[in-house]
Order: sequence, then structure tokens, then C-alpha cells
Amino acid sequence: MAEDTFLTDDFLRQLINVGEVDILVGLPTHNNAKTVGSIVKTIQSGILRWFPRERAVIINADGGSRDGTPEIVTSISIDDVRRGPNPYALRTLHSISTKYATTPAAPAAFRTILAAADLLQAKACVVMSPESCSVEDEWISKLLRPILNDGFDLVTPTYRRHKFEGVLITNLLYPMTRALYGLRLREPYAQEFGFSGRLGGEFLPQNVWDDGGAGSGIELRFILSAITAQHRICQCFLGQKDHVERRGSDLVPALRQTVGPLFSALEPDFPFWSAVTGSQPLLTIGPHQEVLLDLVRVNRKRLREMFTAGVAELATVFQSILSPDTLAELQRVALLGENDFDYPAELWVKTVYEFAASYHKSVISRDHIIQALAPLFRGRALAFLTEQRNGSAEDVENCTESLCLEFERLKPYLLQMWKSRE
Amino acid sequence: MPLNQDVLWYKDAIIYQVHVRTFYDSNGDGIGDFQGLEQKLGYLQELGINAIWLMPFFPSPLRDDGYDIADYNTVHSSYGTLEDFHKLLDSAHSRGIRVIIEMVLNHTSDQHPWFQESRSSQENPRRDWYVWSDTDNRYTGTRIIFLDTEKSNWAWDPISKSYYWHRFFSHQPDLNYDNPAVREQMWNVMKFWLEMGVDAFRLDAVPYLVEREGTNCENLPETHAILKDFRRRLDEQFPGRMLLAEANQWPADLRPYFGDGDEFHMAFHFPLMPRMFMGLKLEDRKPITEILQQTPEIPSSCQWSLFLRNHDELTLEMVTDIERDYMYDSYAENKTMRLNLGIRRRLAPLLDNDRRRIELMNGMLMSLPGTPIIYYGDEIGMGDNINLGDRNGVRTPMQWSGGWNGGFSTAEPDRLYAPLIQNPVYGYPAVNVVSQLGSGHSLLHWMQSIIAVRRSTAVFGRGSIEFLHPANHRILAYVRRLGNESVLVVNNLSGAAQAVELDLRRYKGNIPIEMFGKNIFPRVGEVPYLLTLGPYQFFWFRLRRI
Amino acid sequence: MREMIISELSQAVQELARGFAHYLPRLIVMLILAFAGWAIAYLVKIILRSILRLIQFDKLSENAGAAQLLTKAALPSATEVVSRFVFWVVWLGFVLLGVSVLGILGLQEQIGKFFYFLPRLFVAMFILFVGLLAASFFSRAALLAAVNANVPSPRVLSLAIRSIIIVFVLSIAFEELGIAEQTMLVAFGIGFGALMLGLAIAFGIGGRNLAERFLEQRFVRAKKDENEDEFSPL
Repeated sequence: MAEDTFLTDDFLRQLINVGEVDILVGLPTHNNAKTVGSIVKTIQSGILRWFPRERAVIINADGGSRDGTPEIVTSISIDDVRRGPNPYALRTLHSISTKYATTPAAPAAFRTILAAADLLQAKACVVMSPESCSVEDEWISKLLRPILNDGFDLVTPTYRRHKFEGVLITNLLYPMTRALYGLRLREPYAQEFGFSGRLGGEFLPQNVWDDGGAGSGIELRFILSAITAQHRICQCFLGQKDHVERRGSDLVPALRQTVGPLFSALEPDFPFWSAVTGSQPLLTIGPHQEVLLDLVRVNRKRLREMFTAGVAELATVFQSILSPDTLAELQRVALLGENDFDYPAELWVKTVYEFAASYHKSVISRDHIIQALAPLFRGRALAFLTEQRNGSAEDVENCTESLCLEFERLKPYLLQMWKSRE
Repeated sequence: MPLNQDVLWYKDAIIYQVHVRTFYDSNGDGIGDFQGLEQKLGYLQELGINAIWLMPFFPSPLRDDGYDIADYNTVHSSYGTLEDFHKLLDSAHSRGIRVIIEMVLNHTSDQHPWFQESRSSQENPRRDWYVWSDTDNRYTGTRIIFLDTEKSNWAWDPISKSYYWHRFFSHQPDLNYDNPAVREQMWNVMKFWLEMGVDAFRLDAVPYLVEREGTNCENLPETHAILKDFRRRLDEQFPGRMLLAEANQWPADLRPYFGDGDEFHMAFHFPLMPRMFMGLKLEDRKPITEILQQTPEIPSSCQWSLFLRNHDELTLEMVTDIERDYMYDSYAENKTMRLNLGIRRRLAPLLDNDRRRIELMNGMLMSLPGTPIIYYGDEIGMGDNINLGDRNGVRTPMQWSGGWNGGFSTAEPDRLYAPLIQNPVYGYPAVNVVSQLGSGHSLLHWMQSIIAVRRSTAVFGRGSIEFLHPANHRILAYVRRLGNESVLVVNNLSGAAQAVELDLRRYKGNIPIEMFGKNIFPRVGEVPYLLTLGPYQFFWFRLRRI
Repeated sequence: MREMIISELSQAVQELARGFAHYLPRLIVMLILAFAGWAIAYLVKIILRSILRLIQFDKLSENAGAAQLLTKAALPSATEVVSRFVFWVVWLGFVLLGVSVLGILGLQEQIGKFFYFLPRLFVAMFILFVGLLAASFFSRAALLAAVNANVPSPRVLSLAIRSIIIVFVLSIAFEELGIAEQTMLVAFGIGFGALMLGLAIAFGIGGRNLAERFLEQRFVRAKKDENEDEFSPL
């Protein structure tokens, strides 16, 4: 009867002090002292400027920072004790922090935020990333207004990005989510998004928190769950997406955080996505996407090397995952010269779908399946980057759109693979 | 809004007790009627109730406010026609409101054709329909119920030159339930109304159906057998309908009326009601917890019916002598307020019009185990007129507005069936529905909100009760449980602020969420849970584990 | 003389008969045991086969790489092999039990040793199977990690890890069986040590560049043409 609950007494006490709110801003952190200061100031400024009369709170779910991140967050509270440069604040603004664990875990952070939103009866919530330095205070308004004023349950972002950024999203996550779930949601893996208290309250009691590995990428799970429950969703253009320094070694963790949860979600969501055909556009406030075209150098040689080496060295692994035809085709592509290199959309879609079906049947360890996708994705990224080297924004958009249509067209192929593995 | 089809609908019901005559007059004759009540169903639906209990509306000389029935198969012409009643039924059902009507089984009016025939001669076929005797020495030892007006349970009938038995007024001769024809006829009467669509009967005065020499003529096995037979027929032919027993008895004597779930569905918990008032005056939970702990378990399909006040006097039959004296001294110093071992006052005057006490009593009514009944007018805090005889002081016209006749009727004021309350405190200009609807913090709005909270969970109607026993005896605290849901109720019976420490170790790890504002309170831990309450304040907490 | 011969003869026949009477019941018991044992062993085989099918033992053994070995040896599927093996062991057990009833002294001891050996045999088989699974899993994990880290010769690394684990597991299995324990342990020790020495030499001399690159990656901020121009997946 007395199982341990994940909310500490101290946090609960702070929540009691906050009381009922209209708006809740959730901020999961771990050692973000460098960036979090400006972000919380922006959030505060956004609340004061766009929602001066609403009762608001900033909830920081911290995963055991040692650099003073929580203190930075709580320091921006506005109340009658601190005399600060905020004569324009009508109300007390609580900015509270809780340590949900000693090591960071996205599901636990999100769950803490959802629980707080539920207990405080928040009408509208927004989750912000602690790393985005390009955040503007208007983002708060953009993500919350559709919920407060127009009754939406979920608001996902769209960004201005460089055409070579977010390749995993444009070449896998977006098209696959669109094809399977039937909604043209550009950023299924969002780090900043808004949701209604109602949606949060529905998701909180679901049995997704102890999923272990599949639990990361909980935001993706959340968004998919909103789609399958047919909540009102829209997307809103925010602005520039930060270029965060990335390294090549980040690809496998990125796949684990996104593709893993997506593949995992396909099982429980099968009744939904197996019945969906085509895709519907989503109400978008602002442009769908903006693409920056500045010249950026990409190490294509390295990508090609890793793709070719991957196809060769992992042949035994691929035999368990891919169909013989697809594997043979990949091997043929791996032998193509640098100038002829191409990873056609159809082959890529089949690759992804076969991986998804194999994941479903756990032909080998699921984590190994995800890792095995990495070199193949590099090949696809290489093909995309080469094709769009001199491409305009329109070219990029057309390429993405045709890839999406290919994913939609080959959906029966996935269904066939899914069932045949059974 | 269709009717909830659950056969146990009465467990989730909030019942509104009303007399057609008192509610709303649609045709300007000074007497409330069915069409008037129908027009006001919207008000009742907004209040949040889902069942109405109508006082007797049958043709009657009205010498006992309609409980002396002269014809069972139609309605009193003052209230309208049978057609009007039918329309009222349909209208109520379409709003999700069920209709409970009175059925006086024990006796009829002496004006009833059956009695007229019975008394006419010894050879009349209906002679045996009533209890006749040549002497008044039979059934000695049977108590007299209307002590203030009757001296004996036998009355001499000059026409038939013999005595007839009456447990109530002498103009209400008792039917003879040893006669199968009587039983059959009464079932046919009930069937008539059931076929029309009536959802339930409040069976009046059921303990007294059968008499036997050498007994107190109450609660006899033969009586139970008759009632069980009625129930059996009801279940067979009209499933989902309900029987509510009016049996002013001690809990142990009340228990048989539920049978094994094969007699009454519901019964009034008479003994609890005066003890709630007593607990409040004493500022001590003891009378309340004791009577509930003495209350026997009832079959799972059965339900107690709880009330604060009703059309009768606040009965003090089921209390001890010292308790009765205390109640009289506390609540009815003026002896004119006392009647028949009871106090004939409405809720608000009894509680000195103290809004906090009114809220507290309603809070207990809504949170103790049972189905609550609200007496018409108590939701706006109506007063009474003790200068009207008998119990008529609590049966004055409903006060709708501060205008002509309190909005009750367009007739001339002296044509009203009873005068309106006029005094500055409770009079209709001060206490009425319109002005309370316009005020956000009126008693009416508060009643709407507490009914809404009550209806938001099945725990109150269907859950178990576990009393907590904090050292502070002024605090009445209990936990209602149903399945995984638990609600903690804490009542301060005192007029002063109180602090109390509750032993909630069983509920360790739960977060109490106050049910009206939905704000969270500190989580329950190992140490006693400290709460502070203002005068007469109460809390309802949902215990949530997150 | 004739009487002596007859009496001796009859005595001998009596002794024979006595001996027969002594052994015949036991023989009958032994036959019953053998028969019952066959039936029980068959039942156990059926049940075990169902259980193994339920837990998808074939798939597990495929993961372990055992299935491939069996195919190469022209043996039936792992489930089948295990079920049949257990059948024979159980029946043999019952037969030996029957033989022990006969009371032949020398045999008792051997039979006892057999029953003593049995559990250790099963444990060793289990260790081997788990070891094969682990070897397969870890070698694949190493292969994937090496490929994704762009480490040269990933397959060599993967094979090395698989070999080490298999050898290690084999030596534990043999130790459990009590067969040439010391030999196996020493052989493992020598083999492992040699492998490590070889790797150290290769690392130090032949793998200089690899070592250099590895250390640089680990401890020195990324060199420009390694990490610049890296695309961003998210």
C-alpha cells in the first residue's frame, strides 16, 4: 500500500505554496548553468509580457546538476520578499525546482512536470529546452495561445533551420510519422511544445514510465499518444532552431532517443496506424518551415566511408533484419562511385520499414537493431546532402514532400512485413 | 437527459421533498399544482437533484395534509388532473429526474368510499376491510402516536355502533391487512401508478399494518410478510422501481424492513437525524458516532435515507428522555414549537439562521452514508411560521421572488392555501430564489456546488464508512471508501476554531486534495496529520496517490 | 554313486532354481522399470518439447549461434536435439536404476557415479548455452559499436571478443564436468595471456596510428577535419 511516490515532500510543499495556476512552464535540466540563465529570463519576460494577469509557475525538473542550475532557475522568482527589477509584475511568479533523480532521465523529468501540472490544475503548459539560446519571449505566447484561446490540446513547433540540419527528422521521423499516423506534423520529436492540462492529465496515468530504454524519447510518445487519442493539434512557427554543436558520435544516441521510441510505439498503436490511409495537413500558424541556405561544409567522404564499411561489416547482422532483396540492393549501392552515389527514396523507405518490422519481432536485441540503422542512415544522409548541395528552399521542400509520399505509398509494404513476421 | 438505467439508481440519488400544493401555482387559485411544479423542474435540475418525492396529492379531506386519502386512483382536483400528473412525470423523466410518490398503506380517510361502505353494515362485503371491534380493550399496550390530539387508538363509530382501530388521527381508520382482498387491492393501487411511470413509493406508516393481541402491534412478522410480497411483485413486474420505508424505529427494529434485500430498498434513518442536531449543540460527535456504530449492516442493495428536516416535526421519539429534554431546551424553548414528541421548525430557524451551521449540517447530510433528502425551501434557508397550527408552519408557500406573493401565485394573498412568511429575517422579500440566484455566494449557489461535488463521485452514495477517533471530540472525522477511491471528511462541530490531529497512517503516501477548490494539502506521512478548522467548518478531501 | 550324482544334480538344480527365484523378481522389476522409464521419458520429452517451443528456444539458440552449428553438423533443430537428449538420459537413468535393483555389486558403484555426474552435465550444458548466447550478444554489440565509431577492422574485434568469451565459457564448463580441469584452466590462461600480449604488441607497435587517433579523440579536443563539417541529425 505504501509504495514510494516519485514526488518528494519538499517539492509537494512548494506546489502547495504555488496553488492553482493557469500556465505552467516546464524546464527539464541537467548541468545547463551556461544557458539556462538567459532562457529563464526569456521565459519570465514572456510571461510578464504576454500573460501578465494569468497565474503562472516555472517548474524546473533537474536531474542532479552540480553546476548550480537549479539555483539559477529559482532566482528569477518574483515575490514580495525579493526586491527586484520587476515593478511591472502584477502577481507573484513562482519559479521552483525539484531534483527528480541523481542522474538525468527524460521520462522522469517529464513525468514530474506532468504531475505538477495535474496537481496545480494548470490549464495550459509548455515545455522548454534548457539549451536553446535562440529562444524568444514570444515563443511562450505562440505555444500557449492556441491552447488558452482556441481550445487546442497540443501545439508543436516548426523552425527556421539550415537545410542540412535535422536530417533525421526530415528523412525519417517526419515522413514515417506522417505516413503511419496520418498527420503532417513536422517536428514529432519536439523539445519545445505546448499542451493542455487535460492532455497532460490523460497521459500521466499511462503505463509508459517504466519502459526502460524505450522510455527515452518520451516527448515523441506523448505526441503520438495525442494523435491516436485524436486530440486537437496544431503547429506554430517559432523561429531559429539553435545550432547546437554536434559530433558524429551523437547519431546513435539520437537514434535511440527518436527511432527507438517510434518503433516501440508502433506496437501498442497498431490498431490506429494500420487503419490510417494518406495524411492530413495540420493547422499551422506561420510558415511550415524556413530553410537557411548558407554554405556549409559537410564531410561527405567520411559519411560514404562509414556507410560502405557498415554495409560490408554488418552483413551478418543485416541478414537477420533485412530482406535478401533489400540487402542485395544496399550492397549494390555501397559499391557505387562517389559521383554516382545515390540512396533512392524507395530503397530507404523499404530499409526503414524492414527495420521497423524486425524491431517489432525482436529478431535480435532491439538496441542492436537501432545501432545497425546508423550506417545506413549515414548513407541516406549523404544522398540527401549531395542532392541538395545547391538546392533552394523549394527544392528541399519538394524533396521532403516526395519522400513523404514514398513513405505513404509503401505503407502496405510495412503492413505486409509486420504480419509476415508474426 | 435520459434516466440513468442502473437498478441501484437510488444510491446515487439526491432527493428533493416537495408538496405540489406549496411549490408553484400556475392557474392563480392560490394553490400550487402539477403544472406549476412542471414549470419549475428546470430550477430543480439546475439545483442538481435527480429525484423528487411528492407528498400525497390524492383526493382527501385534507385533515392530515393529504395523508388521509379518499381515493387512491386519481389526484386532488386542486392540484390538477391525472393528465397533468402524467405530463409532469414525463417532463421530469426527460430531465433525468425520477419521481417518488407517497403511498399510504396503513389507513385511509374516513371519507373514503371503502370506509363508508364498511361502516354501513356488518354484512357489507367491505366490512372486513377495516379493523372493527365491539370493545376498545383489544390491543392494549399499543402506544398512541399523535399524543397531543388522540387519547386512544380506538374510535367509536356511531353509524356502525362499534369501534374501529386507528393508529393515527381518528379520521384515519386503519385498513385490515389480514384480509387478502385488502392486500390485493392495495397492490392494484400501486400497480396503477407504476404503470403510469412512477419510479418509487414512499410507503407511509408501514410498521403498523398488522395488529396482534399481546404485542405492541408494530413491526410484526405478518407485516413483513405482506411487504415482502409487495416487493416480490414489484421486482417481477416493474424492475428498477424502488420502495422507501417510513418507519420511525430504532435501528435494530428498522433492520428487518430490509429483509435479505427482499423487502424495502430504502428506509429513513430516523434516529440519526436528531442526533446530528444534538451533536451540533453539544459540540460533541458522540451522539452521531454512537448511533451510526449501532446501526446494523444492511444488504448491499439497500440504502439508508438521510434528512435534516421534513414536513413533519423534528421527531424526538427515538431518543432517550434526557436527550429529548436537552433537545427541547436547546432548540424549542418556546413550548409552542413542540409537537407530538418533536419540534416543528424548519432547518434555518433551528440553526438561528447561522449560515455556517446550515452549511455544516448539509455537509454532513451529503457525506454520511445514505441518500440525502432536501426539504423544499431549505436550499434557500426558508423560515417557518409556528403560529400556523399542527405542522403547517413548515409547509408555507415556496418563496420564488420578492414580488407579489413571493412569486408563488398571482392570486390575491388571502386566497393562498397558507400565508407566506413575512418577517424581516425569513420573509419572502429577504429569502427568495431570484435574489439568491443573483448573488454568487448565496446559500442556493452553495447548495448547487455541494450537490455537484457530491455527485462527482460514487463514494458518498455507495462507499463504506470508517470513523476516525481523534482526541478532540468536537471533530467528527471519517473516511468514505469505494474501491480505490477514498474521501476523508472532517467536520468541526464547534463554534470555535479547532485544531485536530488525525491518525492517517493507513493512508500514508496519499495527497489530500480538497474537493471544492481542488487545492493540494501536504502529503500524509507517519506523524499525525494536523488540520485546523474555523468555526463549524468542514473539509472533504479526496485522497490521491500519485 | 548314482544316488550321489542324482542328489548333487538335484542340489545343483535346486541352487539354480533358488538363484533363479532370487533373481527373477528383480529381473521382472528391472524390466518394469525399464518399460515405465521409457514411457516416462517419452512423456518428459513431449512436455519439454512443448515448453521449449513456448519459450522459443529455437530462436534463442539461433541468437546464440548454436543453431548454425547444429545445421552444419546435420543435426535437427535445437529443441529437437535437447528433447531427444533428455529422453535418452531419463530412460538410461531408469534402466540403470533397474539394473541396480539386480544387486550386482560392481555395477552399483558405477551407476552411482553416473547419477552423481548427471546434474553436473546439465549444469555444464546450461553454462555452455548461456555462454554462447552471451558471446553472440557481446560480439555483435562490439561489432556495431566499432562500426559506428569508425574503428578499423571491426570484425576482427568482434571475433576476438566472441572467441574470448567462448573459450572462457568452455573452460568453466569443463571445470564443472571435472574433465581435465587443470589442463583447461591452464590452456585458457595461456591462450588469454597470449592474446593480451599480442594485442599489446600490436597496439604498441603495429597499432601506433590507431592508438594515436584513439587517444587524440579521447583526450584532445577534436581536430578540425574530424568534427567540423559533421551534419546534425536533430
